[in-house]
Amino acid sequence: MSLRAHLARRDTGLSAFAGLAMLLYLAFLIVPVLLSLETSFTNQNVLSASSGFVGLANYREMLHDNQLDAALEFTVALAAVVTVVANAAGLAFAILLNRASLSYRVLRTLAFLPQVISGIIVGFVWSWILSPSGLVNNILMKVGLVSQPVNWLGTPHMAMLSVSIVVAWVLTGFTTVVYLAALQNIPRELYDASSIDGANSRQQFRMITFRMVAPATTISVVISLITVLKLYDIITALTGGGPAYATRSVAMYIISVGFSNGAYGYASAIAMLLLALTAVIALTVTTLLRRREVDL
Amino acid sequence: MIDQQAATPVRVPPLPAASRPAANKRRLKRATRLAIALLVILAFVSPIYLTIVNAFKNNSAIDGSPGSLPLHPTLSNLSAALNQPDHVLQLGLRNSLIVVVCSVVLLIPLGSVLSFWISRKRSRSRRAILAALAAGLMIPPQITVLPIIHVLAHIGLDHTYPGLILSNLGGGYLSFAVFVYVGFMRSIPAEVIEAARMDGASSLRIWWKIIMPLVRPATATVGIFLSLWIWNDFLNPLLIIGPLTGQTVTVGLYESVSNQVQPDYGLQFGFMFLAALIPVVAYLLVQKQFRAGLTAGATR
Repeated sequence: MSLRAHLARRDTGLSAFAGLAMLLYLAFLIVPVLLSLETSFTNQNVLSASSGFVGLANYREMLHDNQLDAALEFTVALAAVVTVVANAAGLAFAILLNRASLSYRVLRTLAFLPQVISGIIVGFVWSWILSPSGLVNNILMKVGLVSQPVNWLGTPHMAMLSVSIVVAWVLTGFTTVVYLAALQNIPRELYDASSIDGANSRQQFRMITFRMVAPATTISVVISLITVLKLYDIITALTGGGPAYATRSVAMYIISVGFSNGAYGYASAIAMLLLALTAVIALTVTTLLRRREVDL
Repeated sequence: MIDQQAATPVRVPPLPAASRPAANKRRLKRATRLAIALLVILAFVSPIYLTIVNAFKNNSAIDGSPGSLPLHPTLSNLSAALNQPDHVLQLGLRNSLIVVVCSVVLLIPLGSVLSFWISRKRSRSRRAILAALAAGLMIPPQITVLPIIHVLAHIGLDHTYPGLILSNLGGGYLSFAVFVYVGFMRSIPAEVIEAARMDGASSLRIWWKIIMPLVRPATATVGIFLSLWIWNDFLNPLLIIGPLTGQTVTVGLYESVSNQVQPDYGLQFGFMFLAALIPVVAYLLVQKQFRAGLTAGATR
Protein backbone atom coordinates (compact mmCIF):
# COMPACT_ATOMS: atom_id res chain seq x y z
CA MET A 1 0.00 0.00 0.00
CA SER A 2 1.35 3.44 -0.88
CA LEU A 3 2.07 5.90 1.92
CA ARG A 4 -0.63 8.26 0.71
CA ALA A 5 -3.31 5.57 0.70
CA HIS A 6 -2.14 4.52 4.11
CA LEU A 7 -2.47 8.06 5.46
CA ALA A 8 -5.86 8.48 3.79
CA ARG A 9 -7.12 5.36 5.52
CA ARG A 10 -6.05 6.78 8.86
CA ASP A 11 -8.24 9.77 8.10
CA THR A 12 -11.37 7.79 7.19
CA GLY A 13 -12.89 7.85 10.67
CA LEU A 14 -12.28 11.56 11.12
CA SER A 15 -13.60 12.45 7.67
CA ALA A 16 -16.72 10.37 8.18
CA PHE A 17 -17.45 12.04 11.51
CA ALA A 18 -16.78 15.53 10.10
CA GLY A 19 -18.93 14.64 7.08
CA LEU A 20 -21.79 13.76 9.41
CA ALA A 21 -21.52 17.18 11.07
CA MET A 22 -21.53 18.90 7.68
CA LEU A 23 -24.52 16.81 6.61
CA LEU A 24 -26.47 17.96 9.68
CA TYR A 25 -25.52 21.56 8.95
CA LEU A 26 -26.66 21.10 5.37
CA ALA A 27 -29.96 19.49 6.39
CA PHE A 28 -30.89 21.92 9.17
CA LEU A 29 -29.42 25.19 7.98
CA ILE A 30 -28.43 25.42 4.31
CA VAL A 31 -31.35 23.43 2.90
CA PRO A 32 -33.97 25.22 5.07
CA VAL A 33 -32.66 28.60 3.89
CA LEU A 34 -32.86 27.45 0.26
CA LEU A 35 -36.34 26.00 0.84
CA SER A 36 -37.41 29.30 2.37
CA LEU A 37 -36.03 31.13 -0.65
CA GLU A 38 -37.96 28.80 -2.97
CA THR A 39 -41.17 29.19 -0.95
CA SER A 40 -40.84 32.97 -1.15
CA PHE A 41 -41.55 32.75 -4.90
CA THR A 42 -44.79 30.78 -4.37
CA ASN A 43 -48.23 31.50 -2.99
CA GLN A 44 -48.02 28.55 -0.60
CA ASN A 45 -50.76 28.91 1.98
CA VAL A 46 -52.13 26.67 4.68
CA LEU A 47 -55.66 27.31 3.38
CA SER A 48 -55.14 26.06 -0.16
CA ALA A 49 -53.85 22.63 -1.08
CA SER A 50 -52.28 23.75 -4.33
CA SER A 51 -49.58 26.32 -4.58
CA GLY A 52 -47.84 27.76 -7.57
CA PHE A 53 -44.96 29.89 -8.68
CA VAL A 54 -45.86 33.58 -8.43
CA GLY A 55 -42.51 35.14 -9.26
CA LEU A 56 -41.79 38.31 -7.35
CA ALA A 57 -45.39 38.90 -6.26
CA ASN A 58 -44.59 38.40 -2.57
CA TYR A 59 -41.70 40.80 -2.81
CA ARG A 60 -43.90 43.36 -4.52
CA GLU A 61 -46.51 42.90 -1.79
CA MET A 62 -43.89 43.88 0.82
CA LEU A 63 -43.62 47.33 -0.79
CA HIS A 64 -47.22 48.13 0.17
CA ASP A 65 -47.31 46.45 3.57
CA ASN A 66 -47.67 49.12 6.26
CA GLN A 67 -47.48 46.56 9.07
CA LEU A 68 -44.13 45.38 7.71
CA ASP A 69 -42.88 48.97 7.51
CA ALA A 70 -43.78 49.55 11.14
CA ALA A 71 -42.08 46.31 12.23
CA LEU A 72 -38.96 47.11 10.20
CA GLU A 73 -38.71 50.65 11.56
CA PHE A 74 -39.14 49.49 15.13
CA THR A 75 -36.66 46.61 14.79
CA VAL A 76 -33.88 48.68 13.21
CA ALA A 77 -34.35 51.56 15.67
CA LEU A 78 -34.36 49.11 18.59
CA ALA A 79 -31.18 47.44 17.32
CA ALA A 80 -29.40 50.79 16.97
CA VAL A 81 -30.46 52.21 20.34
CA VAL A 82 -29.92 49.01 22.31
CA THR A 83 -26.51 48.35 20.74
CA VAL A 84 -25.24 51.81 21.66
CA VAL A 85 -26.66 51.75 25.20
CA ALA A 86 -25.64 48.17 26.00
CA ASN A 87 -22.09 48.65 24.74
CA ALA A 88 -21.56 51.96 26.54
CA ALA A 89 -22.99 50.50 29.76
CA GLY A 90 -21.06 47.25 29.33
CA LEU A 91 -17.74 49.06 28.91
CA ALA A 92 -18.50 51.30 31.91
CA PHE A 93 -19.45 48.29 34.05
CA ALA A 94 -16.35 46.40 32.95
CA ILE A 95 -14.05 49.30 33.89
CA LEU A 96 -15.83 49.66 37.22
CA LEU A 97 -15.55 45.93 38.00
CA ASN A 98 -12.02 45.31 36.71
CA ARG A 99 -10.43 44.84 40.15
CA ALA A 100 -8.94 41.68 41.60
CA SER A 101 -10.50 41.51 45.08
CA LEU A 102 -13.18 39.02 46.09
CA SER A 103 -16.00 41.60 46.30
CA TYR A 104 -15.41 42.59 42.69
CA ARG A 105 -15.27 38.94 41.64
CA VAL A 106 -18.69 38.38 43.19
CA LEU A 107 -20.08 41.48 41.45
CA ARG A 108 -18.66 40.30 38.12
CA THR A 109 -20.42 36.97 38.57
CA LEU A 110 -23.71 38.77 39.27
CA ALA A 111 -23.41 41.10 36.27
CA PHE A 112 -23.85 38.22 33.80
CA LEU A 113 -27.05 36.94 35.43
CA PRO A 114 -29.49 38.71 33.04
CA GLN A 115 -28.02 36.49 30.31
CA VAL A 116 -28.57 33.30 32.29
CA ILE A 117 -32.33 33.54 32.69
CA SER A 118 -34.59 33.04 29.67
CA GLY A 119 -36.00 35.93 27.66
CA ILE A 120 -39.48 34.74 28.62
CA ILE A 121 -38.75 35.18 32.34
CA VAL A 122 -37.08 38.53 31.66
CA GLY A 123 -40.19 39.70 29.79
CA PHE A 124 -42.64 38.57 32.48
CA VAL A 125 -40.64 39.97 35.42
CA TRP A 126 -40.23 43.34 33.74
CA SER A 127 -43.89 43.51 32.69
CA TRP A 128 -44.72 43.12 36.38
CA ILE A 129 -42.09 45.70 37.44
CA LEU A 130 -43.39 48.22 34.87
CA SER A 131 -47.12 47.59 35.38
CA PRO A 132 -49.26 50.56 36.55
CA SER A 133 -49.20 49.32 40.16
CA GLY A 134 -45.70 47.90 39.75
CA LEU A 135 -42.47 48.64 41.54
CA VAL A 136 -41.17 51.42 39.28
CA ASN A 137 -44.38 53.44 39.58
CA ASN A 138 -44.45 52.69 43.29
CA ILE A 139 -41.00 54.21 43.75
CA LEU A 140 -41.60 57.15 41.41
CA MET A 141 -44.79 58.09 43.28
CA LYS A 142 -43.25 57.69 46.72
CA VAL A 143 -40.34 59.94 45.76
CA GLY A 144 -42.89 62.36 44.32
CA LEU A 145 -41.49 62.47 40.79
CA VAL A 146 -44.91 61.67 39.33
CA SER A 147 -48.42 62.01 40.74
CA GLN A 148 -50.08 59.54 38.37
CA PRO A 149 -48.66 56.08 37.60
CA VAL A 150 -46.73 56.08 34.34
CA ASN A 151 -48.25 53.76 31.75
CA TRP A 152 -44.92 52.16 30.78
CA LEU A 153 -46.37 49.45 28.56
CA GLY A 154 -49.73 50.98 27.67
CA THR A 155 -48.97 53.62 25.02
CA PRO A 156 -47.00 52.96 21.83
CA HIS A 157 -44.15 55.36 22.59
CA MET A 158 -43.73 54.38 26.23
CA ALA A 159 -43.86 50.69 25.29
CA MET A 160 -41.10 51.20 22.71
CA LEU A 161 -38.99 52.94 25.35
CA SER A 162 -39.67 50.16 27.88
CA VAL A 163 -38.72 47.43 25.41
CA SER A 164 -35.46 49.27 24.68
CA ILE A 165 -34.63 49.50 28.38
CA VAL A 166 -35.33 45.83 29.02
CA VAL A 167 -33.42 44.54 25.98
CA ALA A 168 -30.48 46.83 26.80
CA TRP A 169 -30.55 45.44 30.34
CA VAL A 170 -30.24 41.86 29.09
CA LEU A 171 -27.51 42.64 26.57
CA THR A 172 -25.47 44.63 29.07
CA GLY A 173 -24.89 41.39 30.97
CA PHE A 174 -23.27 40.01 27.83
CA THR A 175 -21.27 43.11 26.80
CA THR A 176 -19.90 43.53 30.35
CA VAL A 177 -18.37 40.07 30.24
CA VAL A 178 -16.91 40.60 26.77
CA TYR A 179 -15.31 43.93 27.76
CA LEU A 180 -14.05 42.49 31.06
CA ALA A 181 -12.26 39.71 29.18
CA ALA A 182 -10.72 42.34 26.90
CA LEU A 183 -9.66 44.59 29.81
CA GLN A 184 -7.98 41.69 31.56
CA ASN A 185 -5.80 41.16 28.51
CA ILE A 186 -4.41 44.71 28.49
CA PRO A 187 -0.82 44.55 29.81
CA ARG A 188 -0.52 46.31 33.18
CA GLU A 189 2.76 47.92 32.00
CA LEU A 190 0.93 50.17 29.55
CA TYR A 191 -0.84 51.91 32.43
CA ASP A 192 2.29 51.99 34.60
CA ALA A 193 4.35 53.53 31.82
CA SER A 194 1.74 56.17 31.06
CA SER A 195 1.41 57.05 34.77
CA ILE A 196 5.14 57.71 34.86
CA ASP A 197 4.68 59.93 31.84
CA GLY A 198 2.11 61.85 33.85
CA ALA A 199 -1.08 60.78 32.05
CA ASN A 200 -4.29 61.23 34.05
CA SER A 201 -7.00 58.61 34.13
CA ARG A 202 -9.07 60.26 31.41
CA GLN A 203 -6.08 60.31 29.08
CA GLN A 204 -5.33 56.70 30.00
CA PHE A 205 -8.88 55.74 29.08
CA ARG A 206 -8.68 57.45 25.71
CA MET A 207 -5.15 56.42 24.78
CA ILE A 208 -4.98 52.88 26.20
CA THR A 209 -8.30 51.34 27.29
CA PHE A 210 -10.43 52.56 24.42
CA ARG A 211 -7.89 51.44 21.81
CA MET A 212 -7.09 48.11 23.39
CA VAL A 213 -10.73 47.05 23.63
CA ALA A 214 -11.39 47.90 19.95
CA PRO A 215 -11.40 44.23 18.78
CA ALA A 216 -13.78 43.33 21.62
CA THR A 217 -15.96 46.29 20.65
CA THR A 218 -16.26 44.91 17.11
CA ILE A 219 -17.40 41.49 18.36
CA SER A 220 -19.69 42.93 21.01
CA VAL A 221 -21.38 45.46 18.71
CA VAL A 222 -21.95 42.97 15.88
CA ILE A 223 -23.35 40.28 18.19
CA SER A 224 -25.60 42.88 19.87
CA LEU A 225 -26.96 43.98 16.49
CA ILE A 226 -27.61 40.42 15.27
CA THR A 227 -29.25 39.49 18.58
CA VAL A 228 -31.69 42.41 18.48
CA LEU A 229 -32.47 42.06 14.77
CA LYS A 230 -33.79 38.53 15.38
CA LEU A 231 -35.32 39.26 18.79
CA TYR A 232 -38.50 37.39 19.57
CA ASP A 233 -38.88 35.96 23.07
CA ILE A 234 -38.34 39.00 25.33
CA ILE A 235 -40.85 41.17 23.45
CA THR A 236 -43.35 38.32 23.20
CA ALA A 237 -43.43 38.01 26.99
CA LEU A 238 -43.10 41.74 27.74
CA THR A 239 -45.66 43.38 25.42
CA GLY A 240 -46.75 40.67 22.99
CA GLY A 241 -45.88 43.21 20.30
CA GLY A 242 -48.47 45.73 21.48
CA PRO A 243 -50.03 48.12 22.09
CA ALA A 244 -51.40 48.43 18.55
CA TYR A 245 -48.42 46.40 17.21
CA ALA A 246 -46.09 49.28 18.13
CA THR A 247 -43.43 46.94 19.54
CA ARG A 248 -43.74 44.08 17.06
CA SER A 249 -40.36 43.01 15.69
CA VAL A 250 -39.87 41.70 12.15
CA ALA A 251 -39.18 38.27 13.64
CA MET A 252 -42.59 38.37 15.37
CA TYR A 253 -44.28 39.55 12.19
CA ILE A 254 -42.81 36.62 10.21
CA ILE A 255 -44.16 34.10 12.71
CA SER A 256 -47.52 35.85 12.81
CA VAL A 257 -47.87 35.86 9.00
CA GLY A 258 -46.54 32.32 8.58
CA PHE A 259 -48.10 30.52 11.51
CA SER A 260 -51.14 32.48 12.59
CA ASN A 261 -52.26 33.46 9.08
CA GLY A 262 -50.69 30.45 7.34
CA ALA A 263 -49.31 32.52 4.46
CA TYR A 264 -46.05 30.57 4.09
CA GLY A 265 -45.09 32.14 0.78
CA TYR A 266 -45.34 35.71 2.01
CA ALA A 267 -43.76 34.87 5.39
CA SER A 268 -40.78 33.35 3.55
CA ALA A 269 -40.34 36.49 1.48
CA ILE A 270 -40.22 38.62 4.65
CA ALA A 271 -37.80 36.10 6.15
CA MET A 272 -35.51 36.61 3.14
CA LEU A 273 -35.71 40.35 3.67
CA LEU A 274 -34.74 39.95 7.34
CA LEU A 275 -31.85 37.68 6.34
CA ALA A 276 -30.59 40.20 3.77
CA LEU A 277 -30.99 43.06 6.24
CA THR A 278 -29.10 41.19 8.97
CA ALA A 279 -26.32 40.18 6.59
CA VAL A 280 -25.88 43.69 5.17
CA ILE A 281 -25.88 45.36 8.58
CA ALA A 282 -23.57 42.76 10.15
CA LEU A 283 -21.07 42.82 7.27
CA THR A 284 -21.05 46.61 6.95
CA VAL A 285 -20.60 47.19 10.66
CA THR A 286 -17.89 44.50 10.88
CA THR A 287 -15.97 46.08 8.00
CA LEU A 288 -16.26 49.58 9.44
CA LEU A 289 -15.24 48.52 12.94
CA ARG A 290 -12.33 46.41 11.68
CA ARG A 291 -11.05 49.44 9.80
CA ARG A 292 -11.46 51.46 12.98
CA GLU A 293 -9.37 48.90 14.93
CA VAL A 294 -6.49 49.65 12.55
CA ASP A 295 -6.98 53.42 12.57
CA LEU A 296 -7.13 53.83 16.33
CA MET B 1 33.41 57.94 56.53
CA ILE B 2 31.94 56.55 53.37
CA ASP B 3 32.75 52.99 54.43
CA GLN B 4 31.07 53.52 57.72
CA GLN B 5 27.91 54.68 56.10
CA ALA B 6 27.80 51.69 53.81
CA ALA B 7 28.21 49.38 56.76
CA THR B 8 25.17 50.61 58.60
CA PRO B 9 22.13 48.43 57.91
CA VAL B 10 19.70 49.86 55.42
CA ARG B 11 16.83 51.46 57.25
CA VAL B 12 13.53 52.33 55.76
CA PRO B 13 13.22 56.09 56.05
CA PRO B 14 10.24 57.17 58.16
CA LEU B 15 7.20 58.09 56.13
CA PRO B 16 7.11 61.75 55.25
CA ALA B 17 4.38 63.54 57.13
CA ALA B 18 2.33 64.14 53.98
CA SER B 19 1.87 60.50 52.96
CA ARG B 20 -0.37 59.33 55.78
CA PRO B 21 -3.24 61.55 54.67
CA ALA B 22 -2.43 60.40 51.14
CA ALA B 23 -2.82 56.78 52.20
CA ASN B 24 -6.10 57.65 53.89
CA LYS B 25 -7.25 59.41 50.77
CA ARG B 26 -6.40 56.34 48.70
CA ARG B 27 -8.32 54.11 51.06
CA LEU B 28 -11.31 56.42 50.92
CA LYS B 29 -11.14 56.43 47.15
CA ARG B 30 -11.06 52.64 47.12
CA ALA B 31 -14.05 52.42 49.47
CA THR B 32 -16.03 54.90 47.38
CA ARG B 33 -15.31 52.91 44.25
CA LEU B 34 -16.48 49.68 45.85
CA ALA B 35 -19.60 51.40 47.18
CA ILE B 36 -20.45 52.70 43.71
CA ALA B 37 -19.81 49.30 42.14
CA LEU B 38 -22.01 47.62 44.76
CA LEU B 39 -24.88 50.07 44.29
CA VAL B 40 -24.76 49.94 40.49
CA ILE B 41 -24.56 46.16 40.21
CA LEU B 42 -27.15 45.51 42.92
CA ALA B 43 -29.54 47.88 41.16
CA PHE B 44 -28.68 46.14 37.90
CA VAL B 45 -29.57 42.68 39.20
CA SER B 46 -32.56 43.84 41.25
CA PRO B 47 -35.07 42.24 38.83
CA ILE B 48 -33.49 38.88 39.66
CA TYR B 49 -33.60 39.65 43.38
CA LEU B 50 -37.31 40.48 42.97
CA THR B 51 -37.96 37.15 41.24
CA ILE B 52 -36.37 35.30 44.13
CA VAL B 53 -37.97 37.12 47.07
CA ASN B 54 -41.44 37.29 45.58
CA ALA B 55 -41.45 33.56 44.91
CA PHE B 56 -41.70 33.17 48.70
CA LYS B 57 -44.43 35.74 49.41
CA ASN B 58 -48.20 35.46 49.18
CA ASN B 59 -50.10 37.68 46.75
CA SER B 60 -50.94 40.42 49.25
CA ALA B 61 -47.27 40.72 50.29
CA ILE B 62 -46.20 40.82 46.62
CA ASP B 63 -48.67 43.64 46.09
CA GLY B 64 -48.05 45.54 49.33
CA SER B 65 -44.26 45.30 49.69
CA PRO B 66 -42.85 44.04 46.39
CA GLY B 67 -39.25 44.96 47.19
CA SER B 68 -38.92 43.62 50.73
CA LEU B 69 -37.49 40.33 51.87
CA PRO B 70 -40.15 37.67 52.53
CA LEU B 71 -41.03 38.47 56.15
CA HIS B 72 -43.40 35.51 56.43
CA PRO B 73 -41.86 33.16 53.87
CA THR B 74 -44.31 30.76 52.28
CA LEU B 75 -43.81 27.77 50.02
CA SER B 76 -47.34 27.97 48.64
CA ASN B 77 -46.23 29.58 45.35
CA LEU B 78 -43.75 26.80 44.69
CA SER B 79 -46.29 24.11 45.49
CA ALA B 80 -48.92 25.87 43.35
CA ALA B 81 -46.42 25.89 40.47
CA LEU B 82 -45.73 22.20 41.01
CA ASN B 83 -49.43 21.32 41.21
CA GLN B 84 -50.56 22.78 37.90
CA PRO B 85 -52.69 20.69 35.54
CA ASP B 86 -50.60 18.17 33.57
CA HIS B 87 -47.58 18.95 35.77
CA VAL B 88 -46.37 21.46 33.19
CA LEU B 89 -43.41 22.48 35.34
CA GLN B 90 -42.03 19.05 36.23
CA LEU B 91 -42.53 17.70 32.72
CA GLY B 92 -41.03 20.87 31.30
CA LEU B 93 -37.95 20.57 33.48
CA ARG B 94 -37.55 16.93 32.48
CA ASN B 95 -37.99 17.70 28.77
CA SER B 96 -35.59 20.65 28.91
CA LEU B 97 -32.95 18.54 30.67
CA ILE B 98 -33.27 15.80 28.04
CA VAL B 99 -33.02 18.29 25.15
CA VAL B 100 -30.06 20.18 26.64
CA VAL B 101 -28.07 17.09 27.66
CA CYS B 102 -28.61 15.20 24.39
CA SER B 103 -27.93 18.25 22.21
CA VAL B 104 -24.79 19.41 24.04
CA VAL B 105 -23.33 15.92 24.47
CA LEU B 106 -23.63 15.43 20.71
CA LEU B 107 -22.70 18.99 19.67
CA ILE B 108 -19.35 18.94 21.51
CA PRO B 109 -17.84 15.98 19.61
CA LEU B 110 -19.47 17.02 16.32
CA GLY B 111 -18.18 20.58 16.64
CA SER B 112 -14.68 19.67 17.75
CA VAL B 113 -14.18 16.89 15.18
CA LEU B 114 -15.40 19.21 12.45
CA SER B 115 -13.02 21.92 13.69
CA PHE B 116 -10.07 19.50 13.77
CA TRP B 117 -10.93 18.35 10.26
CA ILE B 118 -11.25 21.95 9.04
CA SER B 119 -7.98 23.04 10.66
CA ARG B 120 -6.13 20.34 8.69
CA LYS B 121 -7.55 21.45 5.34
CA ARG B 122 -5.73 23.63 2.84
CA SER B 123 -6.33 27.30 3.53
CA ARG B 124 -8.65 27.98 0.61
CA SER B 125 -11.16 25.22 1.35
CA ARG B 126 -10.82 25.97 5.07
CA ARG B 127 -11.88 29.55 4.46
CA ALA B 128 -14.82 28.47 2.29
CA ILE B 129 -16.14 26.04 4.92
CA LEU B 130 -15.73 28.59 7.71
CA ALA B 131 -17.58 31.22 5.67
CA ALA B 132 -20.49 28.79 5.17
CA LEU B 133 -20.51 28.10 8.91
CA ALA B 134 -20.39 31.83 9.75
CA ALA B 135 -23.76 32.19 8.04
CA GLY B 136 -25.21 29.95 10.76
CA LEU B 137 -24.37 32.55 13.39
CA MET B 138 -26.25 35.22 11.51
CA ILE B 139 -29.33 33.48 10.15
CA PRO B 140 -32.37 34.19 12.33
CA PRO B 141 -34.24 31.03 13.42
CA GLN B 142 -37.50 32.53 12.10
CA ILE B 143 -36.13 31.91 8.60
CA THR B 144 -35.28 28.25 9.08
CA VAL B 145 -37.90 27.00 11.51
CA LEU B 146 -40.72 26.53 8.97
CA PRO B 147 -38.62 24.55 6.45
CA ILE B 148 -37.00 22.58 9.31
CA ILE B 149 -40.45 21.30 10.23
CA HIS B 150 -40.87 20.19 6.59
CA VAL B 151 -37.48 18.45 6.61
CA LEU B 152 -38.36 16.72 9.89
CA ALA B 153 -41.76 15.67 8.52
CA HIS B 154 -39.93 13.95 5.64
CA ILE B 155 -38.10 11.69 8.07
CA GLY B 156 -41.11 11.28 10.34
CA LEU B 157 -39.66 13.25 13.25
CA ASP B 158 -41.80 16.41 13.20
CA HIS B 159 -43.35 17.34 16.57
CA THR B 160 -40.97 14.99 18.43
CA TYR B 161 -38.09 15.53 20.82
CA PRO B 162 -35.61 13.53 18.67
CA GLY B 163 -36.58 15.92 15.87
CA LEU B 164 -35.91 19.00 18.02
CA ILE B 165 -32.55 17.59 19.18
CA LEU B 166 -31.59 16.67 15.62
CA SER B 167 -32.37 20.18 14.39
CA ASN B 168 -30.28 21.62 17.26
CA LEU B 169 -27.26 19.67 15.98
CA GLY B 170 -27.11 21.47 12.65
CA GLY B 171 -27.39 25.24 12.46
CA GLY B 172 -26.21 28.10 14.61
CA TYR B 173 -25.20 26.01 17.62
CA LEU B 174 -22.78 23.96 15.50
CA SER B 175 -21.36 27.15 13.97
CA PHE B 176 -20.71 28.62 17.42
CA ALA B 177 -18.96 25.44 18.60
CA VAL B 178 -16.76 25.37 15.49
CA PHE B 179 -15.72 29.01 15.85
CA VAL B 180 -14.69 28.54 19.47
CA TYR B 181 -12.82 25.28 18.77
CA VAL B 182 -11.05 26.51 15.61
CA GLY B 183 -9.63 29.46 17.56
CA PHE B 184 -8.23 27.15 20.22
CA MET B 185 -6.90 24.53 17.82
CA ARG B 186 -4.92 27.12 15.90
CA SER B 187 -2.61 27.42 18.91
CA ILE B 188 -1.78 23.69 19.07
CA PRO B 189 1.73 23.16 17.63
CA ALA B 190 1.75 21.00 14.50
CA GLU B 191 4.66 18.95 15.93
CA VAL B 192 2.39 17.52 18.62
CA ILE B 193 0.11 16.06 15.96
CA GLU B 194 2.96 14.98 13.68
CA ALA B 195 4.60 13.08 16.52
CA ALA B 196 1.40 11.16 17.13
CA ARG B 197 1.04 10.39 13.42
CA MET B 198 4.54 8.87 13.44
CA ASP B 199 3.32 6.44 16.05
CA GLY B 200 0.68 5.30 13.56
CA ALA B 201 -2.33 6.66 15.41
CA SER B 202 -5.47 7.27 13.37
CA SER B 203 -6.71 10.86 13.08
CA LEU B 204 -9.78 10.09 15.14
CA ARG B 205 -7.56 8.67 17.87
CA ILE B 206 -5.32 11.77 17.78
CA TRP B 207 -8.43 13.92 18.12
CA TRP B 208 -9.65 12.03 21.18
CA LYS B 209 -6.29 11.41 22.92
CA ILE B 210 -4.39 14.61 22.14
CA ILE B 211 -6.65 17.37 20.85
CA MET B 212 -9.58 17.08 23.26
CA PRO B 213 -7.44 17.33 26.44
CA LEU B 214 -5.66 20.39 25.00
CA VAL B 215 -8.86 22.30 24.18
CA ARG B 216 -10.63 21.73 27.50
CA PRO B 217 -11.28 25.48 28.07
CA ALA B 218 -12.97 25.60 24.66
CA THR B 219 -15.14 22.64 25.61
CA ALA B 220 -16.11 24.46 28.82
CA THR B 221 -17.07 27.61 26.90
CA VAL B 222 -19.02 25.69 24.26
CA GLY B 223 -20.77 23.50 26.83
CA ILE B 224 -21.80 26.40 29.07
CA PHE B 225 -23.06 28.72 26.34
CA LEU B 226 -24.87 26.05 24.35
CA SER B 227 -26.55 24.65 27.48
CA LEU B 228 -27.83 28.10 28.39
CA TRP B 229 -29.05 28.92 24.90
CA ILE B 230 -30.76 25.58 24.36
CA TRP B 231 -32.37 25.65 27.82
CA ASN B 232 -33.69 29.18 27.20
CA ASP B 233 -34.68 28.60 23.56
CA PHE B 234 -38.30 29.55 23.00
CA LEU B 235 -39.16 29.67 19.30
CA ASN B 236 -37.79 26.29 18.14
CA PRO B 237 -39.49 24.13 20.80
CA LEU B 238 -42.66 26.26 20.53
CA LEU B 239 -43.03 25.48 16.83
CA ILE B 240 -41.12 22.22 16.33
CA ILE B 241 -42.66 20.39 19.31
CA GLY B 242 -45.98 22.20 18.96
CA PRO B 243 -48.91 22.37 21.37
CA LEU B 244 -49.96 18.71 21.38
CA THR B 245 -47.06 17.11 23.25
CA GLY B 246 -45.57 18.26 26.56
CA GLN B 247 -43.31 21.28 26.18
CA THR B 248 -39.91 22.41 27.47
CA VAL B 249 -39.92 24.46 30.66
CA THR B 250 -39.37 27.78 28.85
CA VAL B 251 -42.36 27.30 26.52
CA GLY B 252 -44.41 25.74 29.32
CA LEU B 253 -43.86 28.82 31.47
CA TYR B 254 -44.93 31.11 28.64
CA GLU B 255 -48.09 29.15 27.91
CA SER B 256 -49.02 28.77 31.54
CA VAL B 257 -48.62 32.49 32.29
CA SER B 258 -50.23 33.77 29.09
CA ASN B 259 -53.22 31.50 29.68
CA GLN B 260 -53.97 33.16 33.02
CA VAL B 261 -57.11 35.26 32.72
CA GLN B 262 -56.42 37.11 35.96
CA PRO B 263 -52.66 37.35 36.63
CA ASP B 264 -51.72 35.28 39.68
CA TYR B 265 -48.32 36.81 40.42
CA GLY B 266 -47.56 34.43 43.28
CA LEU B 267 -47.93 31.44 40.97
CA GLN B 268 -45.93 33.25 38.25
CA PHE B 269 -43.02 33.95 40.57
CA GLY B 270 -43.08 30.40 41.89
CA PHE B 271 -42.96 29.03 38.35
CA MET B 272 -40.24 31.47 37.22
CA PHE B 273 -38.11 30.75 40.29
CA LEU B 274 -38.21 27.00 39.73
CA ALA B 275 -37.69 27.36 35.96
CA ALA B 276 -34.60 29.54 36.43
CA LEU B 277 -33.15 27.60 39.36
CA ILE B 278 -31.25 24.98 37.34
CA PRO B 279 -29.51 27.35 34.88
CA VAL B 280 -28.65 29.90 37.58
CA VAL B 281 -27.24 27.32 40.02
CA ALA B 282 -25.36 25.61 37.19
CA TYR B 283 -23.91 28.97 36.11
CA LEU B 284 -22.78 29.80 39.64
CA LEU B 285 -21.14 26.38 39.96
CA VAL B 286 -19.17 26.59 36.72
CA GLN B 287 -18.58 30.34 36.53
CA LYS B 288 -14.84 29.89 37.13
CA GLN B 289 -14.46 27.74 34.01
CA PHE B 290 -16.79 30.11 32.24
CA ARG B 291 -14.51 33.06 32.93
CA ALA B 292 -11.36 31.11 32.09
CA GLY B 293 -12.81 29.98 28.76
CA LEU B 294 -14.01 33.44 27.90
CA THR B 295 -10.72 35.14 28.73
CA ALA B 296 -8.75 32.55 26.81
CA GLY B 297 -11.13 32.85 23.88
CA ALA B 298 -10.84 36.62 23.73
CA THR B 299 -7.08 36.50 23.29
CA ARG B 300 -7.32 34.52 20.09
